[in-house]
Amino acid sequence: MKTIVIYKWFRSAASALVRQDGQVDWGGAKMAAGDDDPAALDIAKAVAGPGGTVTGLTIGDGETAWVLARGVERALAAPAVGPLTDELATARALAQAVRLVEAADAVEAADAVIVADAAAHPGVAPALAAELGRPVVLCVSSAAADGSQITVRRRVGNAVEVICLPPPAVLGAVAAGEEARPPGMMETIRARKKPVVELPVTPPPEALERRGTRPPARLGARLFGGSPDDAASALVAALRADGVL
Amino acid sequence: MTASNASNCGNGNGNGNRNGGGGHAVDFDVIVVGAGVAGCATAFQLADAGHSVLLVERGPEPGAKSLSGGVFYCRVMEQIFPGFTDAAPIERVITRNCVSFLNPSSFVNIDYADDRLAQPVNAVSVLRSKLDAWLSDQCERAGAMVMAGFRVDRLLVEHGQVCGIGAGEDELRCHVVVAADGVNSFIARDAGLRTKDPANHLAVGLKSVIGLERGVIEDRFNLERGQGAAYAVVGDCTAGVGGGGFMYTNLESVSIGVVLRLDDLARRGLKSADLLDRFVGHRFIAPFLKGGEPLEYGAHLVAEGGQAMMRDLVAPGFVVVGEAAGLALNTGLTVRGMDLAAGSAIAAAETVKEALAAGDCSPAILSGYPRRLAASFVGKDMTTYRRAPALLEGARIFNDYGPLLANVLHGVYDLDLSPRRRLWRTARDTLKTAPLGLRHLAGDGWKALRAL
Repeated sequence: MKTIVIYKWFRSAASALVRQDGQVDWGGAKMAAGDDDPAALDIAKAVAGPGGTVTGLTIGDGETAWVLARGVERALAAPAVGPLTDELATARALAQAVRLVEAADAVEAADAVIVADAAAHPGVAPALAAELGRPVVLCVSSAAADGSQITVRRRVGNAVEVICLPPPAVLGAVAAGEEARPPGMMETIRARKKPVVELPVTPPPEALERRGTRPPARLGARLFGGSPDDAASALVAALRADGVL
Repeated sequence: MTASNASNCGNGNGNGNRNGGGGHAVDFDVIVVGAGVAGCATAFQLADAGHSVLLVERGPEPGAKSLSGGVFYCRVMEQIFPGFTDAAPIERVITRNCVSFLNPSSFVNIDYADDRLAQPVNAVSVLRSKLDAWLSDQCERAGAMVMAGFRVDRLLVEHGQVCGIGAGEDELRCHVVVAADGVNSFIARDAGLRTKDPANHLAVGLKSVIGLERGVIEDRFNLERGQGAAYAVVGDCTAGVGGGGFMYTNLESVSIGVVLRLDDLARRGLKSADLLDRFVGHRFIAPFLKGGEPLEYGAHLVAEGGQAMMRDLVAPGFVVVGEAAGLALNTGLTVRGMDLAAGSAIAAAETVKEALAAGDCSPAILSGYPRRLAASFVGKDMTTYRRAPALLEGARIFNDYGPLLANVLHGVYDLDLSPRRRLWRTARDTLKTAPLGLRHLAGDGWKALRAL
């Protein structure tokens, strides 16, 4: 199957500062691989299967070496699309890039488009599917291609849900753990030397109008003084009173 | 590792993966370890000259592990990056310098502000996360490959010559490795050029960055727009531990911290974080920071030994630059590291270019680096201030001189209706009740004259 994995499409929240007035200062943070990006790539490879093709796609200053060092042969970037804070605009930019890849490959639609189902940007994967007009499954932890259909697995509470759907589809990936084997320096250096194909994606206008910001609610803090024993007793009593213990 | 074991290196100029001049096949001409000021400045100059350069940084991105505790005396950067102060992400131009003696209930300042320090720009405040990212971008634009997030864990050595680096399972070969990996340079130790430094040559620096509006900063520190102030503080900021405090203004934040000599800190059993909190909350310091928002907090090992920390700077196929070479100077008036790092990068890059052109990376050629360094402002300043660490190791400077100055000034300004006396009498009477004697004053004065 032909799959497209989208990675490094948002800035790392770890690079952001939330000011006291609620403003978020990104400080020029670059696009970063999210926790779920390696899972998205694994799913793209699994769905593509032996003989299939995986195409890596990123936007802004997302580095294509990230996906090339992880065994993907073809990486494309849409550098004109900077980091967008509007999830709908981000999804529109990604959809535009996906269609350009599909047009270049002369296919109507890739079998699967896999994108991180990032907790910080929950609207992107479903909005991307809506833009492309394809079904979407979110919270996918693993997937495989089985003949002419895609079988995905996702955790729902303590159960594992197995869903079969025909291609084309959009899959929102979530990581079950750390990346098993990050690439080494040599793999990354070789990846850096590979050519990058740029896509002429036009940044869509942001659809979201911001009218203000609200600082996150602060949780009240109680300090327990006195000796360590007294403080510990007071803490335990308070936790019991609140029904925690 | 000895010079007699040295072999030749390739005549590198251009891309790697070649075996020139009878040397070993290489992936890069030069591998620079550490993307701070020294590493980036070296990598930039070599890449700009057409050599293939790999710049490896252990942190997830350049600047992620850097922490400066002083201002950047940046004129040297114009030699490497013309127009540096216009192009680089500097915070403020430092035009006001304060040397402060901080006591529990008094605060004596020597406050020096001068418009001449603004033109040409002499010193700037920087945030390393921004500056190092900019520097590494310049390296990439010059053609260097920047690899962040990889830890170099060993040197490759063949026939006594350093010929590359190892990182996990990967090995990369080159003609010259440049160690720019900071005061605790493990690869310089690996090359046998450094041993573990004594604790009195090392200090721990802790810094907080406190966010404040730029107008508030300019009002509180009495600054023109865009200009900045730097405070070097001794006394109660370290609760008597050898070291000092610093505070300088960024564009929209104030960097404040303490530098604590490791041996003294351990002897007194104090916690460095407590001492930073104490300094930040000191009654004469807190008003500068009132209403501020803590943005960053970090700690860093600091070289305090001055020239005594400098060791051999080259081995076959290997040079050491910046703080890894022990290049840091604390004179009590100025705290310098970044300018010395840049100066060493110039000397090292010139020498490595020469070695690559000659196809000879033996110490015979690479020893041009220490010679160039010694002839530059870096080597000369390290020699001029070689006695400064001993001066600053004395306990009196941290404990006694601040109260003495405050008591003399109290005698001058406390007009209690008693008849005034001449200043020298006031000073003499104050000295009589101080733990310091004239002998101490004379001795320390002579030391200071020789050290500074």
